[in-house]
Amino acid sequence: MNARPDSSEFSGARDDGIAKGDTLLEVNNVSLSFGGVKAITDISFDIKKGEIRAIIGPNGAGKTSMLNVINGFYTPQQGTITYRGVPRRAMRTTDAARQGIARTFQNIALFKGMSTLDNIMTGRITLQKRNLFWQGLWAGPAEREEIEHRRAVEAIIDFLEIEHIRKTPVGRLPYGLQKRVELGRALAAEPSLLLLDEPMAGMNLEEKEDMSRFILDVNNQFGTTIALIEHDMGVVMDISDRIVVLDYGRKIGDGNPDEIAKNQDVIDAYLGVPHEG
Amino acid sequence: MNVEFLFFLETVLNGLMAGVMYALVALGFALIFKASGIFNFAQGVMALFAALTLVGLQTGQVPFAHLINAIFGTEVHHFGWELPAIVAIAGTLVVMVAFAYLFEGLVLKHLVNQEPIILFMATIGLAYFLEGFGDLMWGADIKRLDVGIPSGGSFWWEDVTREWAPEGSDYFGMYVDKLDVVAAIVAVVLVSALVAFSQYTKFGRALRAVADDHQAALSVGISLRTIWVVVWSIAGFVALVAGIMWGAKSGVQFSLSLIALKALPVLILGGFTSIPGAIVGGLIIGVGEKLAELYIGPLVGGAIENWFAYVVALVFLLFRPQGLFGERIIERI
Amino acid sequence: MAEHEPMLDTFPKYLLLNAERFAGLPAMRHKDFGIWQSWTWKEQLEQVRTFSIGLQTHGVAHGERVAVVGANRPRLYWAIAALQALGAVPVPVYADAVAEELAYVLDHAGVRLAVVQDQEQVDKILSFSEKIPNLGLIIYDEQRGLADYDHSRLVSFADVQEAGRKAIEDAPDLSVRWEETIRAASGDDVSIMLYTSGTTGRSKGVVITAAAAVQAASDTAAFDKLNEHDSVLAYLPLAWVGDHYLNYAQGYVSGFCVNCPEGPETVAQDLKEIGPTFYFAPPRVFEGLLTMVTIRMEDAGRLKKWIFDKFIGVARKHGEAILEGRPVPLSGRIAYALGRVFVYGPLKNVLGLSKVRTAYTAGEAIGEDLFSFFRSLGINLKQLYGQTEAFLYVTCQEDGAVRADAVGPAAPNVDVRISSDGEVQFKSPGMFKGYYLDDAKTAETLTEDGYVKTGDAGFFDQDGQLRIIDRAKDVGRLKSGALFSPKYVENALKFFPNIKEAVAFGDQRDFCAVFINIDLTAVGNWAERNNISYASYQELAGHPRVYEMIANHVDDTNRKLSKEPMMAGAQIKRFLVLHKELDADDGELTRTQKVRRGFIGDRYGELIEALYDGSPEKFVETEVTYEDGRKGSIRATVKIADAKLYDVPAEAMKEAAE
Repeated sequence: MNARPDSSEFSGARDDGIAKGDTLLEVNNVSLSFGGVKAITDISFDIKKGEIRAIIGPNGAGKTSMLNVINGFYTPQQGTITYRGVPRRAMRTTDAARQGIARTFQNIALFKGMSTLDNIMTGRITLQKRNLFWQGLWAGPAEREEIEHRRAVEAIIDFLEIEHIRKTPVGRLPYGLQKRVELGRALAAEPSLLLLDEPMAGMNLEEKEDMSRFILDVNNQFGTTIALIEHDMGVVMDISDRIVVLDYGRKIGDGNPDEIAKNQDVIDAYLGVPHEG
Repeated sequence: MNVEFLFFLETVLNGLMAGVMYALVALGFALIFKASGIFNFAQGVMALFAALTLVGLQTGQVPFAHLINAIFGTEVHHFGWELPAIVAIAGTLVVMVAFAYLFEGLVLKHLVNQEPIILFMATIGLAYFLEGFGDLMWGADIKRLDVGIPSGGSFWWEDVTREWAPEGSDYFGMYVDKLDVVAAIVAVVLVSALVAFSQYTKFGRALRAVADDHQAALSVGISLRTIWVVVWSIAGFVALVAGIMWGAKSGVQFSLSLIALKALPVLILGGFTSIPGAIVGGLIIGVGEKLAELYIGPLVGGAIENWFAYVVALVFLLFRPQGLFGERIIERI
Repeated sequence: MAEHEPMLDTFPKYLLLNAERFAGLPAMRHKDFGIWQSWTWKEQLEQVRTFSIGLQTHGVAHGERVAVVGANRPRLYWAIAALQALGAVPVPVYADAVAEELAYVLDHAGVRLAVVQDQEQVDKILSFSEKIPNLGLIIYDEQRGLADYDHSRLVSFADVQEAGRKAIEDAPDLSVRWEETIRAASGDDVSIMLYTSGTTGRSKGVVITAAAAVQAASDTAAFDKLNEHDSVLAYLPLAWVGDHYLNYAQGYVSGFCVNCPEGPETVAQDLKEIGPTFYFAPPRVFEGLLTMVTIRMEDAGRLKKWIFDKFIGVARKHGEAILEGRPVPLSGRIAYALGRVFVYGPLKNVLGLSKVRTAYTAGEAIGEDLFSFFRSLGINLKQLYGQTEAFLYVTCQEDGAVRADAVGPAAPNVDVRISSDGEVQFKSPGMFKGYYLDDAKTAETLTEDGYVKTGDAGFFDQDGQLRIIDRAKDVGRLKSGALFSPKYVENALKFFPNIKEAVAFGDQRDFCAVFINIDLTAVGNWAERNNISYASYQELAGHPRVYEMIANHVDDTNRKLSKEPMMAGAQIKRFLVLHKELDADDGELTRTQKVRRGFIGDRYGELIEALYDGSPEKFVETEVTYEDGRKGSIRATVKIADAKLYDVPAEAMKEAAE
């Protein structure tokens, strides 16, 4: 009847059979190069279920390449990625998505001509089971399913406080809101692992605070495991549980924020040796 | 109403009907262009091929009969059965979907991430291939297509409109071809279905998503290859509809593939990415052509219908290149 | 219809009545998760009942004050009714109040319990909770973000309702007794305590009793013929008298439906979807709407713009006459009917105003052009003048007797008078009982014969409509004895788009003189169109053509002033265009962009002197603060211009001087 619809239609993160604190993803000795130029060299680290894991490093350290390896855009020349207990060299991007890896992009990759609502709906594509035949008829089961998914998307819209732009084509939105919609699209997949590529790049202080709050809320409320790349050290130290530091494609540090803050190699990489760009 | 006005009305009506026929072809172009950014040069040939296949299946022709006969010295031409129209249409649809699968698997798959111009070239190749292949498969003779759509003038409408003329005037009523009316109805149904499909279904959204940003589409788990197959299947379906209508009107022959040329000005007018644009563009060209023929034709010696559409398109290219309904792309940095 | 029903004296009594007479009609809607949820009066009664009885189980008793903090949410409106049903006193507080303000109100009202919307309000209250030991339980509506909080003193709205439901199950007669309590309640009980936002000093708790509140709301609901089929969008602050009166009070007595928007950013969209029949907005909202329409039309195609301009022209000419049923030539009627199809209808639809039967604006002066623009579209926009102490209405305009420059005759059953020193005073059915715990202030505000002093200066014009001039304490007199209201003069000038600010002087002086600040955007545009080049604000401000233009505006203003007997004495004799923009960084404006007349008077003493000593120009040097905090100074020779004065009818002079 008139009971306030709660977010029960939207569970936030899928059940992947891995207990909180166990390893969700493990990167083993991965190396990646483009025509002889090494982007990543022999990197290993793990991501545990339920944590916020940051990957940091100066420009060109190989952070984005690392995310691209994890979600299958790049195939590394060496090493394995073990996701949910299955070791592989690389996953196809669509398979990664189907198995619960969702991501956002550094330069926002939204569907600009589509509305906020439609953008977030596309995030649920891997969860929509009805085939083309039913979709074509848009009848019976397909219609019911469509409504069910719409409910989940409304829960996300409510969660991210973007009700006012529900029907606006995202190309017309300001940058900060686009970032939020992109997060919404990734969340819609109810991901096991959420990859965020510089979620706060180009934002002002207030927008950064909002975004940090959303990231923490996602982690808190849905238990979603998050791997994020971020430049703003203050933010990284504040919100992450553990941090991997890359420099020139190599791992130079790994640990909790306190350990990283004390790590001499990291301090050198950030302050001492000049190699920006 | 005076007779003059009734003539005008009749011209407009016939123009609208012709416009619907143009729009049917333009629709196939717009669909693929919107979903994948490819200008499908082969759309007209696809309509021809679909019509050929339909006639072939319906009349029980043996595919590749000439080839078989030449190699084996046999004289087979017909299986000796005739299929009901609806079965033949379903069969053709299966062929078009199979064709979409093959085209994706053999060609598009290898052209991922290529420039649009490369893909455009691929469709030119496809057009020539399909033309020859259709020829080889079903023969080059002109065929009659009959799937039971009523045709010929509507007497009922003639009777009705005759009443409108003033008493005693020399007016015999309006001529409207029943086939055109059916085509109009089919077009409306087709477009509504397509719009609903693209707005409210998972595949529709996926189609729009792929058209917008490949990488993002991949990251949410949309399989590009599945989408290509779906798009080309739908384009094949639209081609089939256009093929049926045009084939029923003027017979199935090679010149059917040239209707694609008429679709070009329609698209320029309506905007390449707009489905409603394809419809309105078609209607404007259709009506414009007939009116120009009626009123300006006598002054320049007729045959305006042959070039009118292109002149309109040229004017549009000069003053409103995105067309009536085309998207002005808004980008923020 | 309300007027045929027996007169009840509390809102909960109306709740019981409405649940019977309007059982199946919608009482409340709220857009949540993208869908309009709705509750009938019958369902609303159940929501209020369970929450109210749940509150009882938490020990809420008659006379106790309970804070209600948050945006326009159904549950907060229900909380108000639920408290009133127990004889407790709801104390709504502005949702955007900072922690200290909130703490002050909660402390002053002696609140033990608070019903709040969300985490934000909970955080605020928790931040000062140790300073208010009295404060116990916090009841919240939205769960989000509160999961990890210490729940020893937090409970959700739903849980309180659940407790109420259980209590009813355990003792079924509880529900009956609850209704009996409502029926037996006295109209002398306090209905609500509204804290004034208080621009000066601490906010005061305005105590309104039930019978008075119901009486006032019934009067105005009947005046505007509101009924159970009307609907409103509740988007103004819940704690403001306007929202409580217009939506809650009028809603309960007339049975209309209150719609709560999804959020503050979605109001425009929600307005369009709901299409309310009764609408209130302050002038700045209407100004915003007009600006939006204008901008959209600038971007529209030429044909569209032409059609728009054409028909808006028609509307300006005939629209108001048609709205008020005055005679209009047939051609005008036809053109207007076409306009309705092509322009006004679609436009009103976009604005969400297509179903509006009655709309009000109040709070500040509204420009003539702006006001008649909306009226000419066929929107019955009227003005009212009100105060928290009156439980809103003091005066309001009747349909058909509407003007931009006045606020109407006294509202039904309200008695308004002008005191000997020009102050507006009233006595009304809804007037307050006093300020909570502040008898001194109460006594100060009431006259000996029981009228409320508004603190506003005003007068009744020939049509019997009240015109508000200024705050009473700001009104002064020229040496001649003529009344001088700086704000009145300034507002008259500021209606010209080219004039951004004006500062008028004249109290205890020989004549009225003004500083004028030009609007850089408007005047800059004008300069561009007229090929006037300028390098700086200062240069533009001092340009002879600009002076010419401003002189025309001053002249128009004087002509207007001369026609108003009370104001005619204070026509502008001399003016100057200030060489710099008045700026909050320099302390010339308040942070809310209001002119600080006293400060400006001190800062530009030399210029004021020059205005009154007859000099044609004056060299000044002014210190300024740049945006980055550096200080600098600008030098200028400011020209001073004379303006023409218009004759004033002799008896008017006399009247004003009295």
